[in-house]
Amino acid sequence: MAAVDAVPRTGRVLPAWGLIGWRWISRNPAAAIVPVLLPFLFLYFLRIISPPEYFPLAVAGAMLYTAQNVGSWCLMDAAVNRIELHLQDMFAASPLGKVRYLVGVAISNLIPAAPAILVQAILLASLRPVTAMAWAVLAGSILVIWLLFSAIGIALSTRIQSQREVWPIGNLVFSVLGILAPLYYPLSILPPAWQAVARLLPSTYAAELVQGSLGLVPLSGEAMALDAILLVAFAGAGIAMALRLYRWREP
Amino acid sequence: MAFIPRWRGTGVFLGTELRMVLHDPLAIASSALVEGILLVFVWVLARDLLPFALLGSLVYSLFLIGQFILSEAAYIRIDHRLNEMYHASPLSPEAYFLGMASGLAVGFLPTTLVLFALTLVLVPTSLAGLGAVLLVLLAVWTISASMAYTISTLFKDMKAIWPWASLIANVLGVVPPVFYPLALWPAEWRALALVLPTSAGAALAGAAVGLQPLAAGELLLAGAALGLQAAGSFAFATWWARRSAREA
Repeated sequence: MAAVDAVPRTGRVLPAWGLIGWRWISRNPAAAIVPVLLPFLFLYFLRIISPPEYFPLAVAGAMLYTAQNVGSWCLMDAAVNRIELHLQDMFAASPLGKVRYLVGVAISNLIPAAPAILVQAILLASLRPVTAMAWAVLAGSILVIWLLFSAIGIALSTRIQSQREVWPIGNLVFSVLGILAPLYYPLSILPPAWQAVARLLPSTYAAELVQGSLGLVPLSGEAMALDAILLVAFAGAGIAMALRLYRWREP
Repeated sequence: MAFIPRWRGTGVFLGTELRMVLHDPLAIASSALVEGILLVFVWVLARDLLPFALLGSLVYSLFLIGQFILSEAAYIRIDHRLNEMYHASPLSPEAYFLGMASGLAVGFLPTTLVLFALTLVLVPTSLAGLGAVLLVLLAVWTISASMAYTISTLFKDMKAIWPWASLIANVLGVVPPVFYPLALWPAEWRALALVLPTSAGAALAGAAVGLQPLAAGELLLAGAALGLQAAGSFAFATWWARRSAREA
């Protein structure tokens, strides 16, 4: 057996990526504080300007937004790895496959975001009772959104030419997607044209599903099941498109 | 060093930076995105606050344009190591700082002009009010650019800059009363809002166009805070630009 065949090819690399995520935040306190703080800054702003009954909805939306925002951190991270450190070439030459690299970067960026999601969950539980089913729906939606937006972030990172492009592209893609989906308010209060556009985004179904399961908007069981199916279908299509865009080996 | 030669080259570097910005239309298009998002939030959730939010978005836009120098100066220094070349040339460190800051300001102005036009439509004002608003915007930009340039020299890694840039922009833009009236901010923290550059700018601009009347003491506090911070931060940044010109 050739020596290269003896190299382990499954499983073990993911904890290493977790460690990378932890080392990054342990060395850069701002990197740990910012993902925790940002959703709360928005929540504070929303608390001031919006009707108080929307606040629990905004907290649940902030949890989804935090998961979605991991995508922009993945974009930055993967861009630095590829452009500045030339690390992606090394990973491409190693037994690590492109999907495991993607999941690895997504995990290492979920670690700084995890404390924020946890604090938001505590805040949500303090605002209103949350059933076990609602927690499960929330966790599932966060998982799908995290995977989808991480895939988009990393796919985009392989297409940009310079680090100067990271900020505007990340800002444009993730902020626009974040604002179009009704994460912080009910879909029903938006103008019809906006609602139609929002219906094309997976985050909209995640938001509706979460809002319905928490009892924040009236939603029947059938409507929630349909939202769940559409969330998975749109996210699957989005991940497939991201993988198609994702360039593992440089030409 | 004589005063005039110290700034020689500012115009040339302004042109250099402007060309770099103009090569990146996506960055120009996305430069007012955060303001746009906050305006959308206000439009959806509290439409009656839209005039305040539009005026605030103008102030915040100038603040963010100033902040762009944080990543730009670091990008030139860390990624391209071009600053060493610039500093070895006859270009003075002060002209390098001011040229970069003003080149970015001119390059990213189009989106701000759109906000400006929208504000004028929704918040009609006198010529004197307009002049006062422009003065406030200039002060906010000066503070932001000076602060951002100084901070950018402290970093050795591009990746470490992004969280800080995001933190500064959001703490000073989203939390204090920039996109909403001062009256909605807790009364006991009102003095703080009047000394932070963004909210002081928004309060003064609001007062100048008659949207948000301020007491004489508040007007004095916000005006003095903004003026002193603009002068102080610019003086410090130019001194620091010379001091930090050569890497250790």
